[in-house]
Amino acid sequence: MKNILLTLFILIHCFKVSAQVPEPAKPQSGSILLNGATAHLGDGTVIANSLISFVDGKLKMVADAETAKIDFSQFDQVIELKGKHVYPGLILPNTTLGLVDVNAVRATRDFQEVGGVNPNVRSLIAYNTDSELIATLRYNGILLAQATPTGGTVSGTSSIMMLDGWNWEDAAYVIDDGIHLNWPVQKLGARWWLGESEGRINPNYKANIGIIDQLFKDAFAYNKQSNPSNKNIKLGAMKQVVNGNASLFIHVNNRGGIIKSIQWAKKAGIKKVVLVGARDAYYAMDFIKENDVAVLLDEVHRLPNRTDEDFDLPYRLPGILHKNGILVGLTYPSLQSSRNLPFFAGTVSAYGLDKEEALKLVTSSTAKILGISDRTGTLKVGLDANLVVSEGDLLDMRTNQLTHAFIQGKALNLEGKQQALYKRFKAKYEGN
Amino acid sequence: MRRILLSIMLLGSIFSWSSAQENFPKNGVKDDRPDIYVFTNATIYIDYQTKLEKATLVVSNGKVKAVGKSASIPKGAVVTDLSGKTIYPAWVEPYGNYGLPNIPKRPNGNGRPQFDSKRKGPYGWNDNILADYKAVSAFSVRRKDAESLKKNGFGAVNSIMENGLVRGTSVLTSLANLSDNLVIIKGEATANFSFQNAATAQQYPNSIMGRVALIRQTYYDAKWYQSPANDLQANLSLEAFNQIKNMPAIFEVGNKQDALLADKIGDEFGVQYILKGAGDEYQWIEAIKKTGASYIIPLNFPKAYDVEDPYAALSVSYDQMKHWELAPGNAKSMADAGVIFAFTADGLKNKGDYLKHIRKTIAHGLSETDALKAMTYNPAKLLKAQTQVGSLKNGMLANFVITSGNVFEESTILHETWVQGTKTIMSDMNALDFSGNYRLNIEGKTLQLAITGKPGSQKAKISLNDSTVYKGKSNIAGENLTISFKEGENATNSIRMTGWKSGNGFSGDAQKPNGEWIKWKASFLSKVDKKEKSSKNTEIEKVNTKGSVIYPFVAFGSKEKLKQETVLFKNATVWTNEADGVLMNTDVLVVDGKINKIGKNLSAKNAKEIDATGKYLTSGIIDEHSHAALSGVNEGSHAITAEVRMYDAVDSEDIDIYRQLAGGVTVAQLLHGSANPVGGQSALVKFKWGVTPDEMKIKGADGFIKFALGENVKQSNWGDNNTIRFPQTRMGVEQVFVDAFTKAVEYDAAWKKYNGLSARAKQTTTAPRRDLQLEALAEIVNKKRFISCHSYVQSEINMLMKVAESFNFNVNTFTHILEGYKVADKMAKHGAGGSTFADWWAYKYEVKDAIPYNANLMAQAGVTVAINSDDGEMARRLNQEAAKSVKYGNMSESEAWKMVTLNPAKLLHLDDRMGSIKKGKDGDLVLWSDNPLSIYARAEKTMVDGIIYFDIDRDLQLRDEMRQDKARIINLMRGDKKAGKPTQKPSPKYKHNYHCEDLLLYNVEVSDK
Repeated sequence: MKNILLTLFILIHCFKVSAQVPEPAKPQSGSILLNGATAHLGDGTVIANSLISFVDGKLKMVADAETAKIDFSQFDQVIELKGKHVYPGLILPNTTLGLVDVNAVRATRDFQEVGGVNPNVRSLIAYNTDSELIATLRYNGILLAQATPTGGTVSGTSSIMMLDGWNWEDAAYVIDDGIHLNWPVQKLGARWWLGESEGRINPNYKANIGIIDQLFKDAFAYNKQSNPSNKNIKLGAMKQVVNGNASLFIHVNNRGGIIKSIQWAKKAGIKKVVLVGARDAYYAMDFIKENDVAVLLDEVHRLPNRTDEDFDLPYRLPGILHKNGILVGLTYPSLQSSRNLPFFAGTVSAYGLDKEEALKLVTSSTAKILGISDRTGTLKVGLDANLVVSEGDLLDMRTNQLTHAFIQGKALNLEGKQQALYKRFKAKYEGN
Repeated sequence: MRRILLSIMLLGSIFSWSSAQENFPKNGVKDDRPDIYVFTNATIYIDYQTKLEKATLVVSNGKVKAVGKSASIPKGAVVTDLSGKTIYPAWVEPYGNYGLPNIPKRPNGNGRPQFDSKRKGPYGWNDNILADYKAVSAFSVRRKDAESLKKNGFGAVNSIMENGLVRGTSVLTSLANLSDNLVIIKGEATANFSFQNAATAQQYPNSIMGRVALIRQTYYDAKWYQSPANDLQANLSLEAFNQIKNMPAIFEVGNKQDALLADKIGDEFGVQYILKGAGDEYQWIEAIKKTGASYIIPLNFPKAYDVEDPYAALSVSYDQMKHWELAPGNAKSMADAGVIFAFTADGLKNKGDYLKHIRKTIAHGLSETDALKAMTYNPAKLLKAQTQVGSLKNGMLANFVITSGNVFEESTILHETWVQGTKTIMSDMNALDFSGNYRLNIEGKTLQLAITGKPGSQKAKISLNDSTVYKGKSNIAGENLTISFKEGENATNSIRMTGWKSGNGFSGDAQKPNGEWIKWKASFLSKVDKKEKSSKNTEIEKVNTKGSVIYPFVAFGSKEKLKQETVLFKNATVWTNEADGVLMNTDVLVVDGKINKIGKNLSAKNAKEIDATGKYLTSGIIDEHSHAALSGVNEGSHAITAEVRMYDAVDSEDIDIYRQLAGGVTVAQLLHGSANPVGGQSALVKFKWGVTPDEMKIKGADGFIKFALGENVKQSNWGDNNTIRFPQTRMGVEQVFVDAFTKAVEYDAAWKKYNGLSARAKQTTTAPRRDLQLEALAEIVNKKRFISCHSYVQSEINMLMKVAESFNFNVNTFTHILEGYKVADKMAKHGAGGSTFADWWAYKYEVKDAIPYNANLMAQAGVTVAINSDDGEMARRLNQEAAKSVKYGNMSESEAWKMVTLNPAKLLHLDDRMGSIKKGKDGDLVLWSDNPLSIYARAEKTMVDGIIYFDIDRDLQLRDEMRQDKARIINLMRGDKKAGKPTQKPSPKYKHNYHCEDLLLYNVEVSDK
């Protein structure tokens, strides 16, 4: 009954908001039990008939309904989910979500600052909770996103955001979780529009490596002082990374760059390193593993890097790395399709990885990589109640159909402007 | 007429040699020489196939006076005994730039687009048509360049100004060091064409399709220019074009696909171009032969790649490797096919490689006769100068090379090149051969002196014994030897010796480091052992490993072209897209490329049976909006480019064809981009793998054309320089269409009127000018060509329907159509289809209201809806894109599936032949591992016209074969490196993955990530 009420509430609410972004959810007020769903815990386990409860935004019980005996009356709300599937909320790392609305409109672009070295630039404060894109990602199961600046050599500092909230303070999940470094390329891309079919040597390659090396040497030295007399906000912004409390995300794709950047980072004494992009990781697998570096692979749905590569290498790559014991998460560099994150995992599964393992690449593994596995990424007692419910397999667009989503126990209003427009015109044509 | 006069004049001038310049005043006294040279006892090739032994060549006044065994020696002749030497006709370079100014550089412009010509004078509108250019008027003798060419055996060059699509005429000149007036063999030898723009910032054309269109339109305009229809315009470009269009014409192309394209242009206008190819003709030798063209082929074979680092070597693609291996065999394969070809040194940085590389082609099997023919007779013949150069017959120019023997032997020396009776000496043919080991006695010591090298360029070395060689320098000139050496590693100064031939050794003086003079003597001991050159060996090794051509010539090609078979799919779940719906446990038989039977327990003779138990069989995916398999997408220069044809840009060797086959795509509409309101004509193709562009074309398909609306055509995101092309607003876009169709209707009426005349009336009536652009637009109005219009916002969708209705035709398809859901009822009423993205949005302002429910809503309103890709990657997963309409809006699975099969077939007017599994329809089928709408479904077999072009098992086999073949070639490359041959660093070839948003040339940001 409460379930129906909730649905009704959402529906009414939805019509009311029409073309506005949905209103942020209220904090969880009572205890909630999800009864009977097939639970995909995100750690590889599946409970065919599960009982999941959460109170005050935290998971209190994750149990098998076949064995656990509980009193349903103790819950303020019981949601019957027989035949449905429950998953940890998906996590989208390395995204410009909240930092841009319409890429072609300069006024809405807030993800790239001028100057090559900007560790002090923070995505957190530009993150727009009212971006129309947010609701479309949630609609497919994405509940957390690492809002990340791009461009330059050091793009800036990212933060992990919840995809619900009144403002950026409200939505922040982890503030300033890491700094993003674009490892220089030796060869610049071919200017195809000028008819070039080959890249050019990057004249600044060595100089840029020098700049990076010097920056980190200076940052280590600077942050050893307890109270530097000559303040430098760039170096100051790197404190958590040099102390090993935040990650250095190295964006690099080619094999040479992957190896050189990791060697450099080790030598520089950086403790937490994550590779982002890493399209050539297939050719540096043993090296990555030996150095115990995690990888955020971008764009599963891409073409192979080289003419001769297997047509399905981009689809298989995440599974290959994962099976080799490398910690892998999936990401998507461009915003226009990042709501398809669950389907990346589906593709990885179609091309060789078990479904529950593939699920890890968008939940628990990503949580580990972002350093938030003690709070989210799996359905485990004590963690945040970040979870989504789907009519069917979340990783397949044929069955991905969200009915519920909770961030820290808050029941989200899933429908946004796109659903409102759908309803408006559906009614128009039905009326015809 | 003037041209003929000029030629006669020039010919005449050569006839009267000594008094050739009698009309020129001379400063000084008359100095005419007899100029008679006789060469006796030589082996003479009077042409590529006729060899005379012990023959005599008589040269007088720069021409061959007599040649033969019994030629008599005129009085006053300078006689040279050439016993043991060979005379060849000098090589003829059919494609050079000798004596011409440098090719001008493309001006940068001011960033603003340049629409009009910048030439001053009554020329044509486009600066890429330089038909009026006459190389002869810019020509001047350049001694240094002539010397370097002659040193390599060339006697004559066809010089072409490589600037523009139409490049005017070339000049055929000899390389003699005479005055400009005396070296011209043909003042206008060939007319010249290419697909490369001239040095102009003028925007049109900037694509391969645009270049083809401009050349074609120029032919038509030239015809119109001569007709009474033109009673006003003076146009030097067209006038010149009319003068050159019947000359031998050379069309320079960048690859084999463009060779076929150029030949097709020639076919349209009854011209057989000589094709100046790229050296990749062997890859498609059948099609190349079919052109019927003669070819000028380059010898710039790629250097081996440095593949020592296995990961760096990943950047060398299979086709690059194979081309390295097989390119030297190009000439052989052309000769085998019976194609007439001439060699050019064009593209060789070092002209010395000309002969070296020809020797390579001989190692690859070309006969010496064919080689010589391609160096001498064929180029002369192509230039219609075979009675002047390329052979040594009476009356021809005395252009010849004297060699020490068979020119194709590596050890053979080129001694002298004679051009018009003037000589260039490369290597003194009387030079003595001192090669050998000598005992050197100097200051009581006995050292070793070794002389090596070809006579005339020999070097000496001094050593203490076999292991200790002294460092030093040597020079042998005539009978004199100069040599200096350091006695031991620690010596700071050299002993400097100089001496002369004495007996069968040398004697002379030397100065020691301390200044003291001493005497020395060297006496001959033994001959030097000749070592076989290693370079030739690696070439033969390469030939012996028998790499073969693959189809297509790129990764995942096959050694044999794939053939049609009778195929029987057994026991599949068949999604028919017909009234039958889904048929369980059903067999489908494909015979002769068509669906022959659908039923249970079928059997067929000689059928290849495929067990499809547990699998899903569907018709192939049809992509209504694709830019795959294209070498250009946007002719984004003018607002209207209806004249361009995407068929001219089809690249049948794009790897994306194979990748998309692996995603179940069998058919696509290859669309022009969206840079202008009226783009180009579509190419409707089948994804066949290993065929030529023509073979991909769907025969008998209706014509389609791309239109576009909104931000792209009004250049909203093109940067601040692009604000002057009309239109810049949606208001202007409408006027572009109204204007275009208004003109098209008038054009059509004029032609209809003319075509309606009787044959007799036609004779006295002038035909209207043929305009390729208006012709295509008139086809639209006449419902013979159909629009696929890139569109986003509801206002503009509505607008185009209204414009079309006012001209009494319908818009066939709105593509992208992201706001189609807002006007779906109007679209349904108008009869327009919608081909949309499943869920793309947010990349620009006009897609702000795009919703993934669009397909559902349009379908609900009665619109025929397709889901398209516009993207090389997404095209591989169109089945999943269709499935998104199940997610967003609960479309039924059967309707969702039709959006990527039957519905696009309808939109492309192909549904009578494709789009469903029905008896008689094309055998375009896909066997899926799972429900085809599921993300877990993989295409296991993809068949087009009954040929299985993608097979998931064969794919694994091809990977394996390619890996092994690459390893084989890598070993060969390493062999080249070991043999000391030059190598090149691997550099990945970038191939752009086209989208319709790609706006060529402008404002594109580079991402270094």
